[in-house]
Amino acid sequence: MSRRAASFILGFALALLVGGGLWWWLSGRPGAGRGRGAAGIVAKPGKPVSFQLYFPADGGTLKPEPRDLQVSDSPKDRIHKILDALLVGPRTAGLVGPFPAGVVVGGVLLGQNGTAYVDLRWPNHEEPPPSGSTEEIQRVYSVVDSVTLNVPQAQRLVLLWNGVQRETFSGHLDLSRPLVPDRLPDRNASR
Amino acid sequence: MLVAAQGGQPQAPARPTVVLEGREIAVPVVLAGNGPTFGLTPLAEALGGTLSTDASGESVSLKIADKEVVIGQGNAIITVGDAIVSLSQPPAQGEGGLQVPLDFLRKTFGDLLGYSFDWRPETQRLTIARRGTRDLPVSLDVVHLQGMTTIVLSFPEEPRYKLNRQGNLIQVQMLGDRLTPPAPKDLQDPLVQGVTIDPAQIRLQLAEGAQAESYVLEKPFRLVFDVHRTSAVEVPASPNAAPERLAGIHTIVIDPGHGGVEVGAIGPSGIQEKELTLQLARELEAKLSQRLGVRVVLTRTEDALVSLDMRPAIANQNKADLFISIHLNSSLGSGAYGTETYFLSPQATDTRASTSAAAENREGAGNTATTSDAAGNPVNPANPADDTQDLQLILWDLAQTHHMSESQRFANMIQGELNEMLKLKDRGVKQAPFRVLMGATMPAVLVELGFISNPDEEKKLKDVAYREQLVDALSRAVAHYKALVENQPETPAVPGAPAGPGAAPQATPSPAAGTPAPAPRGAPPPARSLAPRPVGTPAPGVKPPPAKGHPA
Repeated sequence: MSRRAASFILGFALALLVGGGLWWWLSGRPGAGRGRGAAGIVAKPGKPVSFQLYFPADGGTLKPEPRDLQVSDSPKDRIHKILDALLVGPRTAGLVGPFPAGVVVGGVLLGQNGTAYVDLRWPNHEEPPPSGSTEEIQRVYSVVDSVTLNVPQAQRLVLLWNGVQRETFSGHLDLSRPLVPDRLPDRNASR
Repeated sequence: MLVAAQGGQPQAPARPTVVLEGREIAVPVVLAGNGPTFGLTPLAEALGGTLSTDASGESVSLKIADKEVVIGQGNAIITVGDAIVSLSQPPAQGEGGLQVPLDFLRKTFGDLLGYSFDWRPETQRLTIARRGTRDLPVSLDVVHLQGMTTIVLSFPEEPRYKLNRQGNLIQVQMLGDRLTPPAPKDLQDPLVQGVTIDPAQIRLQLAEGAQAESYVLEKPFRLVFDVHRTSAVEVPASPNAAPERLAGIHTIVIDPGHGGVEVGAIGPSGIQEKELTLQLARELEAKLSQRLGVRVVLTRTEDALVSLDMRPAIANQNKADLFISIHLNSSLGSGAYGTETYFLSPQATDTRASTSAAAENREGAGNTATTSDAAGNPVNPANPADDTQDLQLILWDLAQTHHMSESQRFANMIQGELNEMLKLKDRGVKQAPFRVLMGATMPAVLVELGFISNPDEEKKLKDVAYREQLVDALSRAVAHYKALVENQPETPAVPGAPAGPGAAPQATPSPAAGTPAPAPRGAPPPARSLAPRPVGTPAPGVKPPPAKGHPA
């Protein structure tokens, strides 16, 4: 092996080692990427808090599922985490996810007057899924109840779809104004 | 990067600058592929805005001229007052606090304080100037209907103004703009003593014991005042009151749910809600015409998209005495079946200003606010194509609150008949903020005649004989209600029909049961308390709902 070839192999091996180390440092090390929300904000260290998530259930109802989530003290962070968990779906048999797979939280705003704005996004789908009134009520109020009954700073909620406030999701509920929860909070719910 | 100048000497690129009223101010500018962004903190200081951060440090609030702008880092949607605004790019943390795009500046400082923002990419200069004084023509419309006076001030573009209240006097004070007053009008209104407009201000003098709430509508910009009595004292009937309907049930509007591209629920076999609702509506139309001899109007007679606001508008235009929206249901999860009947949730009427505003703002430009004549004559029932639809919507929304007790009573009768005749699972009478019910000026219900998401019910609903039973139950409920309203014995056109109103079984323990017979249609509405009430509390005259939404 010529001297030149040996130097090339050595250089290549060194580059591989440095690149791999860098990759490990950026993405593989424990804790990397944690605490970073969709908005690119570094959240403060979280703590486990118990919430009640409201999922569609048999018979056209909503039922609460207790869920411990790692959240900060920020109401906005809590809303985001609650919705992320809601969209992933329930863990309890007999409950179902309110939205089809692929629907994500596009953004959350919380005004000082207690109105939360939640933008749900469904890539490649302009319209929400078609449905009857009970299904629409289950979908919309799973979000409204899960947020407003768990985050006291959010008293009412405006739901956006793909960044747009719609007249209605599926031809029934009026979504052009803030919605308040349609039930009382679960007494056992802790915050 | 360096660029070659004409003389061949390298020249540094132009430094981005921000110039306010001819004076350069220090604002960090970031040039990105999707447009420049500007440091918000120095701009707020220079233009007059107060920035604060919430406890979490994630949301920033910018106060400009009594309006709050809420900004989330990384979120391209902001709120300006009650309006939701989409930005070309999300604000991001950077030099000078949050870096915001040009459209942010135009939609906040520009719209609220009258600044213009002119960005020249070639010179990389942002020039900020206060727009000159504008001469804005203003038009005035006053409508008195059902105990409330609505005053609409219309402008070609949003004025810069400040609202002052002093006792019964409301002042709309212009901030830099000049008003061109309309021709004087002779105003005779029980709640408003006078409206004077001069170039600098508008003065609304309310009558003793009256109070007003204000809100804005956009495209075009309108400032609206709802004036009402402080207490639930009934105001004297206005000479301009809306034409009254004849007492009794003469015209019924049936609304087949969905249509066109909006298919509604879809059954396991693929059948769509819009097809079945149209069939049921046609069958009910025939049955009601034959049985009761009433005039029946359908909101759609073919597979066509009809907007949710148009449907009650058709009922109002036809001076209908009942509005029945027919739907078929679906649910997430399994095991849902049976029928349920809805009337409007009181929650829906609490924020009618924002509801109407949102509806209005979607209607787009081109609407005018010519809603009444000089004497304040009320708007005619809807001509859907009419430009006056906006204010009518507001008034209809108000009107439905007068009919909620009757809507509930009628809903109970429908559920009672469905239970009695079909022995279906009774899901009860419920309330929800359904948009199709909001504008109806008559008792209005939305009936769900079964779950097409349930294979058994879907199969039944496709059967003509089963639908005949459903239609028969609905027509019996209408007959009972008609007899009750007209205070006369019902004509049993169908053998075996219950003898009279009292024979109608209640679907659920009805709060309305046992209450006196309703006032004849067309009678003056009951006085209502207009005191503000918290969202979600029952409307005056409406007892708590028997069931709400979907009890867990």
